[in-house]
Amino acid sequence: MEAYKATWYQFTEHPDADSCWSLSVGPDGRIYAAACAEGTPGGIVKLVRYNESGDRLDYLFDLDQVVDDPHDSGRATQCKIHYSFAPSMKDGVLYMATHLSGPPIDLPAYSPWRFWHDEERCFRGSALLAFDTAADEVLWYDTLIPKEGCRCLLIDEERGLLYALSYPRDHFIIYDIEKREGRDIGRIGSVNAQLLFLDRRHRVWTTDDYGHLVRYDPETDRLETSPFALPHNPQFQSGWHSVFYDAAPSPDGDCVYASTWIAQPRLMRIWPNEGEWGRVEDLGPATQERDPTLPVNMFLDHCGGLTFAGDGQLYYVASRWRDERYNPLPADHKAREGVVWRLDVDTLEREEVARLERPDEFAQYVSRGAVDHNGDLFFGHVGPRPTGIFKVWMPERRKRPDAHLPIRIWG
Amino acid sequence: MAKRKQYDMKTPGTRELVDEIVHGTFVKEGTLLAFPTCFPGSSAPIRADESRITALDATFDGGVYGGTSGRATHLFVGMFHGVTGAVLDLGTVEGGTHCPAVCCGEKNFVAGVNGEKGGRLVGRNLQPLPFDLIQEWGFDRKPFDEMGAIGGGEPIVHMAADPQRKFAVGASSGHLFVVDLEEKEVETVGELGGCGQIGVDAEGRFLGMDEGDALWAFDRGTGKLERKSIQLPSATWDGVELRWARDPGDGTLYTADGGGRMFSYRPDSGWSDSLGQAPLAPVGPLAVTFDGRLFGFCGEEMARLFTLDEEGVRQLGGAASVFERRRYGYSFGAAVVGRDGEIIFGEEDELGHLWLYFPKIAPRQ
Repeated sequence: MEAYKATWYQFTEHPDADSCWSLSVGPDGRIYAAACAEGTPGGIVKLVRYNESGDRLDYLFDLDQVVDDPHDSGRATQCKIHYSFAPSMKDGVLYMATHLSGPPIDLPAYSPWRFWHDEERCFRGSALLAFDTAADEVLWYDTLIPKEGCRCLLIDEERGLLYALSYPRDHFIIYDIEKREGRDIGRIGSVNAQLLFLDRRHRVWTTDDYGHLVRYDPETDRLETSPFALPHNPQFQSGWHSVFYDAAPSPDGDCVYASTWIAQPRLMRIWPNEGEWGRVEDLGPATQERDPTLPVNMFLDHCGGLTFAGDGQLYYVASRWRDERYNPLPADHKAREGVVWRLDVDTLEREEVARLERPDEFAQYVSRGAVDHNGDLFFGHVGPRPTGIFKVWMPERRKRPDAHLPIRIWG
Repeated sequence: MAKRKQYDMKTPGTRELVDEIVHGTFVKEGTLLAFPTCFPGSSAPIRADESRITALDATFDGGVYGGTSGRATHLFVGMFHGVTGAVLDLGTVEGGTHCPAVCCGEKNFVAGVNGEKGGRLVGRNLQPLPFDLIQEWGFDRKPFDEMGAIGGGEPIVHMAADPQRKFAVGASSGHLFVVDLEEKEVETVGELGGCGQIGVDAEGRFLGMDEGDALWAFDRGTGKLERKSIQLPSATWDGVELRWARDPGDGTLYTADGGGRMFSYRPDSGWSDSLGQAPLAPVGPLAVTFDGRLFGFCGEEMARLFTLDEEGVRQLGGAASVFERRRYGYSFGAAVVGRDGEIIFGEEDELGHLWLYFPKIAPRQ
């Protein structure tokens, strides 16, 4: 194994931060991350940026303040930005939309179903912000989805549209940036896919609860559902909950590499422009074998952080853990770890290039990954507070200038 | 045998008769729903030959705990309320092949488990509610607490919890014992050859089959075990392994003799006359729901659901599940009343499922 150096950056200035659900490269080539606090009553998300000259994190703003939805209002809070960074190269704006789940400051938990009709408690709505990365300025904000959170966001820059999935109702939302108007196309299911991606025909793809591809076609203005279930382990999975977790576009834009949001996530390659429903290649399980009779913790058995790097290969993080039968790691080996894999997209052979280790806790769960304009890798981590992000220093031979381009346009 | 004439398919009412034969064979009142021993879509069920469900109990808040028999004993918990909907296999009990009883306390559960090396008790704390099982989850397995053997490893015959779920009384093949469900401590009360299930009467006394068509009675308060305390009614009791059902409202106990005749027992009024006869014998697992109706299975190989209510005994039909899991049910080993009065039956068969039965609601009179 060629070990790349990995460095841990903790959200020390946000001690309540228990998750970094979103991490993205901005249109400026720098790395942005969401320091989310969903487990603390009244918790809020702070926008963070990696400062490459100082090799540290800068804390840009508190979301509750910039969108005037204070953390102590008694409502569910602006606690996180889920998979909802959407960079626009045209104007240098990083769009971001907030998500719910953090409890009101005076309650121990929040249920969006329970408080839906409670005007004092109900989440005000997902706040959509336009952040000018050149001027370091919030240009404007709006309520993207009243009462609901935004699970994931995508920008179709050519058409000036943002696409989102709402939570908890799992509706497909289209937002016209110029008109500042949203439109609800309808419900998909219950689970919530964690990702949307765009194809060359401006169609937007996601999944339903049962692992079927769902596609919005602007030509028909309708959602349509594939009759086929995405790859899954037939031994104990049925396709249910095999929704998209993460997906990275290939640099040529011909296909995406995706992982599913279920314990023992599956890797796949999807060619959306081929055939009626695209072509799906099953690349197998992303994580280790394990006891199929146990509904394994989704925070233990996980794969995320898919991103292409300057060398044109796919990188992602899959968890690995000690299991007496299936993976009896030696006693001096960490019991859980996030393994950074490099997948050669020509041979589909994968190579372990780094392990993510934080000094105080395990770091097996990675949400999103990105490559900055210098060609280094970054990963958002979800774990004990305060959580943070990892930087994986790419070898010089695998870097290139502006490695973040073409930029990923979905969270 | 007399020869019969071929049926004329043009006979009026043929369609109705066909429908009755095909569909009317199965449960005609209420709804049966078979749930597998797993988190569907996220875990595999217990192996077929390890999944005969022979013991069930429920917690105050509706958790359903059970144990299996077969090539291995698994203990499990079923979660059917809130945003749950899963059966979690809590693991196998090493060396166990038969689970005759599970008893739930307020914080712990205890199971009797038998195997080649004899019987013993194991326990664990109750499983906390998970997060939303439509969204995301995480389960792991904790080891069971070994609580020891009775009489050097005598097979456990049965156990029953007191209505307050503080303790349980059990019988092995040679002794009567008490289990503190809070502390998971076991105390042997005396010598007794257990046979069949233990019932708890309206005064909280524990009853079980004794010699001479009589019941023994044990009072936890006084610690007194009274042999041949209650004479069984005149019926067929030879070789019967008693099954009990307790009315959760007034504590009335129900049981059946070897011919399927149903009787009730109350300390203040004694035994009832026969309340009716189950359609088939032997009578299997029974439970009484909150309105006093009894439901149970009877018969071997292809059991039939029956009910006992104010009008007597009625057969309700065979078991079929048509929601999500499409399955016939042939053999059942345990029954318990769920949180809302539904009856949960444990299927004692390969690939055993939990069968939730939602009885018919009578129209307003």
